[in-house]
Amino acid sequence: MTFCFTGIRSLPKLWKSNPYLSVGPGHSYFSLFLKDCCGIRNQQKWFSLKAVSPQNTKAVNLLIAKARYLRKGDEGSNKQVSSDSHLFAAGAAKKRSQMNTHREDHALPPVRNTIQLPTRPLNSEEWDKFKEDFKGKANFESWIISQMADCHSSIDVAKSLLAWVAAKNNGIVGYDLLVKYLYLCVFHKHISEVIDVYEIMKARYKRLEPGGYTLLIQGLIHSDRWKEALLLLEDIKKVMIPSKKNYNDCIEGALLHQDVNLAWNLYQELLGHNLIPMLKTLKAFFDFGKNIKDDQYSNKLLDILLYLRNNHLYPGESFAHSIKTWFESGQCSGCGKTIESIHLSPEEYEFLKEKIMRDVIDGGDQYKKTTPQELERFQNFVKCCPPFDIVIDGLNVAKTFPKARESQVLLHVVSQLAKQNLQLLVLGRKHMLTQHSRWRKDEMKKVQKQASCFFADNISADDPFLLYATLHSGNHCKFITKDLMRDHKACLHDAKTQRLFFKWQQGHQLAIINRLPGSKITFQRIPSYDTVVQTTGDSWHIPYDEDLLERYSYEVPTKWLCLHRKT
Amino acid sequence: MPVFLKMSGSIILRSFGRFLVPFTIHRKKGVLCSTILQRSMSSKIPTVSYPKKESTSPPEQLGLDGWKITMKSSMQEEDASAVSSSKDEDPLVAIRELIEMWRLFGKEVPEQISEEELKSAMGCVSKSSKKKYLKYLYIKEKIKKAKQIKKEMKAALKEKAKKDQLLETTKEDKQQNFLFLRLWDRNIDIAMGWKGIQAMQFGQPLVFDMDYENYMKPKELQSTVSQLLESEGWNRRNVDPFHIYFCNLKVEGAYHKELVKRYGEKWDKLLLTATEKSHVDLFPKDSIIYLTADSPNVMTTFKHDKIYIVGSFVDKAMQTGTSLAKAKRLNLATECLPLDRYLQWDTGTKNLTLDQMMRILLCLKNTGSWEEALKFVPRRKHTGFMEISRHSQELVNRLKKSKPFNSFPKGSLNIHTQKRWLE
Repeated sequence: MTFCFTGIRSLPKLWKSNPYLSVGPGHSYFSLFLKDCCGIRNQQKWFSLKAVSPQNTKAVNLLIAKARYLRKGDEGSNKQVSSDSHLFAAGAAKKRSQMNTHREDHALPPVRNTIQLPTRPLNSEEWDKFKEDFKGKANFESWIISQMADCHSSIDVAKSLLAWVAAKNNGIVGYDLLVKYLYLCVFHKHISEVIDVYEIMKARYKRLEPGGYTLLIQGLIHSDRWKEALLLLEDIKKVMIPSKKNYNDCIEGALLHQDVNLAWNLYQELLGHNLIPMLKTLKAFFDFGKNIKDDQYSNKLLDILLYLRNNHLYPGESFAHSIKTWFESGQCSGCGKTIESIHLSPEEYEFLKEKIMRDVIDGGDQYKKTTPQELERFQNFVKCCPPFDIVIDGLNVAKTFPKARESQVLLHVVSQLAKQNLQLLVLGRKHMLTQHSRWRKDEMKKVQKQASCFFADNISADDPFLLYATLHSGNHCKFITKDLMRDHKACLHDAKTQRLFFKWQQGHQLAIINRLPGSKITFQRIPSYDTVVQTTGDSWHIPYDEDLLERYSYEVPTKWLCLHRKT
Repeated sequence: MPVFLKMSGSIILRSFGRFLVPFTIHRKKGVLCSTILQRSMSSKIPTVSYPKKESTSPPEQLGLDGWKITMKSSMQEEDASAVSSSKDEDPLVAIRELIEMWRLFGKEVPEQISEEELKSAMGCVSKSSKKKYLKYLYIKEKIKKAKQIKKEMKAALKEKAKKDQLLETTKEDKQQNFLFLRLWDRNIDIAMGWKGIQAMQFGQPLVFDMDYENYMKPKELQSTVSQLLESEGWNRRNVDPFHIYFCNLKVEGAYHKELVKRYGEKWDKLLLTATEKSHVDLFPKDSIIYLTADSPNVMTTFKHDKIYIVGSFVDKAMQTGTSLAKAKRLNLATECLPLDRYLQWDTGTKNLTLDQMMRILLCLKNTGSWEEALKFVPRRKHTGFMEISRHSQELVNRLKKSKPFNSFPKGSLNIHTQKRWLE
């Protein structure tokens, strides 16, 4: 049987103006022939990549003109093309920040005044002399061992230091020196030394602190006494919840020694503490799964993928490769064709609407963002109007082009949209209506002719109204603003609602991407698909993070791992 | 003897492994044997205390593993079995041990910790809050110790001075003539008391709105009370004090308890008005101005016929707009200090502490000059005063003459009343 995978694709690149996808170059195809090891299906299977065709919704078609990148006023080569990176695409924020500021040469971090650390074990006279030469406030012994830990000196040098300290101190070495020495042993994978230090600590101290425990666990899991790491984990539990790293180490140890059940139990315990596991931990399960042909284990791995989905986590590049390798090794799912829609289900939609009203607008004190009178006025206004197609954040749009007059920009945008026979709502503040050099009354009158307007008090927040009006109008309604709405997202109390909000925002927010006033307004395209780990029962699509790309929390990855089966 | 020892299998494996390690090259044979001996014994049994004199090895070749023996053999005084004694041990004990280990590791934790503090540390929900709390205790302990040392030094100096005086022959035989007895502090207190009473009768009210109990954590509340004490002190010392009101102060509320705790017996003798009523019950609404940094209206002049309200609220959680919402709810005029107009703001929030507010208001009341008054804004927050050109100065003067500067007309807030309000 043959598999065909694409490892890496970038969906936004597929967003050509034509809805048909042409598979561009640069996609790596490879096929491998394997014997089918699944006992259930004995047919030949043929996996291949299917390009994912996003479904355009009507509204998007109406709005989206061909995005053209106007290369005018090119100032320097570090001006990035902004039109090809989506507002929510991974790395977009970084690009934006580089566009706005001329990149300065970052000064190198100040070189620390480091003493040349010894590279070979010193004897006591040499240490004595070293100490004399040291001029600093800190305790010499702990300072020097910290330096050694930072520079990963060889353990013999550290050992000679400890021997020197012990000789001066009736054979006693302080706990902090021991822990840092242990760190070096663990770093250099000196298991027998780790065991030695472990014995010493057991003999000397009744209980350690989390740092010591963590290092011991990390060291012991590679030895044949790895079971004792679990005892240490129990010790930690007596005073605090172990960290996800502690669990990660224990799970890795269990997998290393083929104790699968223990690993899964630890994993369940970790989830029970409401800790979010390290992606490394999940990767370890997948890596281990390559050599296991067991349905139960496979199902658990699929559960991990669902966990990623439910918590909107994205694997890193190497993890994605592990997932891919595991799928290739015969454990596989079937095949599907479309990627999930970005649209919320009716229940989710109602739920979100209510939460926005309750947490973002009201928030326990209606006077904070508005007043009860204003809220009532707004709700009556929304009820009386027909549902809108586009809700515009007047102030944000007007300030898109800093050099142009605000009211003119707003009018320009509104009239362009009005030509398309769309029901518009412009939200603003009352001061926009007072005559000012930047807010001309005649232009605002024209705006009011072409769109319904609602002006909030000057000291009220306008964004919550924008969100509510959009949600109230229904699923087809979009809103225009460049604001990322992070502060409003933060008003929502639980992570689940925040994710719903983010999903809805991705599907309904239009951002103006023009760089020059007066030209035809073009918007950021709205993805019709949801960036999340997903399965159609037959296929898996897994977005993942590239290693060298920094992704902000309000951005989503652009690279996908697509696993399909063709019968 | 060493040969004999190597008969036990596990040890052979162990030591063999050791020899494979390329790092442990030169080691004294004797030392090796003793380590092996050590390891063959179960570490759980308290071993015989070794003689303290560990390495007779000459210093030029330090035995690299020698220290391990003493470390293992020198047991603690208490029973140091690595196996925890029992499952159901007291969590308080466990926490205490953890803190001790942290201290040995060099973390910032206190040396002495009381039962009550331990319980609070246990009550911390997360690891980070635990560490924060312990660090706080550590700093507190350090300050206490430093003070103690200073005190002792002072005492020693005093002793010395006394001795020196005794050595000097007292030549102060003749009577000296003085006009006053040395009772200055008391006289100052009494004078301030008289002024305070005058202020209670005829002073301009200044209200502290105490309605923020629910927005604050205990620690924030404590700092608020500290700031209130300081403000009250600054007011007391002034030439023309305000008549301070603590409004919305719930009797037996957290605020009240803390204030009584801090003032002690003096609480009932304080020359200010503490009341459970709200400021809108005590004063006419149109003469109240609520001071809040979130206000869109900038204060241009200090008005002697208005009642200013300061929210006694330390807000570390950045709950912006809380006090503005309060003022909106009661439909009160709001103003903020003209910090941006007079200062080149650099960093930090524009929310000032209560005592800074108090001093600024007192200064404005007595001199009316913003430059003078805004000297009380912390210097770290701004880079200097604005060069106010004559033109803008004129503008300010014109504004002073015409109407209060309102960037946004507020129908209900522009009522001009020249009512002198007296109790």
